[in-house]
Amino acid sequence: MRVSIYRFNPETDTKPRMQDYDVAPEAGDKKLLDVLMRLKTMDDSLSFRRSCREGVCGSDAMNINGRNGLACLTSLQGMKEPVVLRPLPGFPVIRDLIVDMTQFFAHYHSIKPYLINNEALPERERVQSPAEREKLNGLYECILCACCSAFCPSFWWNPDKFIGPAGLLQAYRFISDSRDTATAERLAYLDDVYRLYRCRTIMNCTEVCPKGLSPSHAIERIRLALVRESS
Amino acid sequence: MRARSAGAPKFLNLSQIRFPIGAIASIGHRLSGVLLMVSLPLLALALDRSLRSEPEFAALRDLVSAPWRALLLVILVWAAAHHLFAGVRHLLADIGVGSRLAQARTSAWAVIVAAGIIALAAALRWLS
Amino acid sequence: MRLFLGQRAWVLQRVTALVLLILLALGAATLLTGPSLSYGSWHALATSTHGAVLIVVFFAALCLHGWIGVRDIVLDYIHAPALRLPLLALVAVILFAIFIRVVLTMAAHFAGGG
Repeated sequence: MRVSIYRFNPETDTKPRMQDYDVAPEAGDKKLLDVLMRLKTMDDSLSFRRSCREGVCGSDAMNINGRNGLACLTSLQGMKEPVVLRPLPGFPVIRDLIVDMTQFFAHYHSIKPYLINNEALPERERVQSPAEREKLNGLYECILCACCSAFCPSFWWNPDKFIGPAGLLQAYRFISDSRDTATAERLAYLDDVYRLYRCRTIMNCTEVCPKGLSPSHAIERIRLALVRESS
Repeated sequence: MRARSAGAPKFLNLSQIRFPIGAIASIGHRLSGVLLMVSLPLLALALDRSLRSEPEFAALRDLVSAPWRALLLVILVWAAAHHLFAGVRHLLADIGVGSRLAQARTSAWAVIVAAGIIALAAALRWLS
Repeated sequence: MRLFLGQRAWVLQRVTALVLLILLALGAATLLTGPSLSYGSWHALATSTHGAVLIVVFFAALCLHGWIGVRDIVLDYIHAPALRLPLLALVAVILFAIFIRVVLTMAAHFAGGG
């Protein structure tokens, strides 16, 4: 199988280049990450992040044949060749397929991704009904791999000001949490032409989410919550 | 301290990215909006002309007699149709109608095809 | 900067879109159900009180809707303040001038049309 990979070494290269590899997958190789690991043994200068190899850690997000995805969840079966691998679009490249996620996580931290509740601590726990817990489904599963934000044109044009689909999905996760008491403050923070309203509902985020989540739906709900809040 | 990524390259070659159908409908929405905005002064002018006199009203009706004007008009018809359909699609999605991925893909296709058919009908009528 | 509001612009974009949709549907229904448009019938329709008001409302909605759309495009693609602010100002002036022009047109024909 032929794999064409974006290469950039900041110490020796001034510009990125594409490098072709020919590799024969073996019987146990099921996912794209297996092939990448095999390539790594052939050429140990090839750099990419990976850890859990099963779609939980979110490290091996990359642009695979023009769409963002996790190498560990991308099946080799039926892949179009040559397989073209590039780093996440719009993110600064540190080396090869490794991108700088600093700004991405700064946006994540900006939405205060933790429960805020200043009411007196209950004796045992803050109880949540099954129905209230149900509201967090489709939100809490996000692994922050950045596939969505790095596929969002609005994020490409304003990566420093637009929170992006991943951060907004996380914001809605805490807005929807019955135990959180900072909903009004959270909504007020998001009511900004850049932070939330750069979203044009293109839905590229939902198209590429490897966990099958829908950031565009979360954004839709935030906007409706803001309308209710101000009326 | 210099940021690790200062001066780092970025991959953002749009021709190497495979855009989903919703993105195509969306950029069409933007492009058609720009075309309509650019033609807005002409629309205001046409309103004025149409009310002035019988001959000026008739001249507007015969606008399509010159092929290049007819072609511009076909493009504007496409822009108006696409912008309108894509706009309705967004308004519905805002209130949760068809905002799930499968439906959004179908409606994006529907917007593109419907606007294309209308533009084609205009072209057949004015350009043949 | 008050120019760059969040929710208010988003709501205004939707409201003006709805106004435009309703007026376009009204216009299409008038055209399709009535006899084919002649200068006389168009002039009478456009210079009637509610015809003139609806035309002015239509262009007001069109200019506002267009302003938000162009503003979004500028916010997305043009980041240098030296370019962005003059461009936004220019668009605002042009759109306002177009609206005034339409109002003057309607006023002239409304007064003389009777």
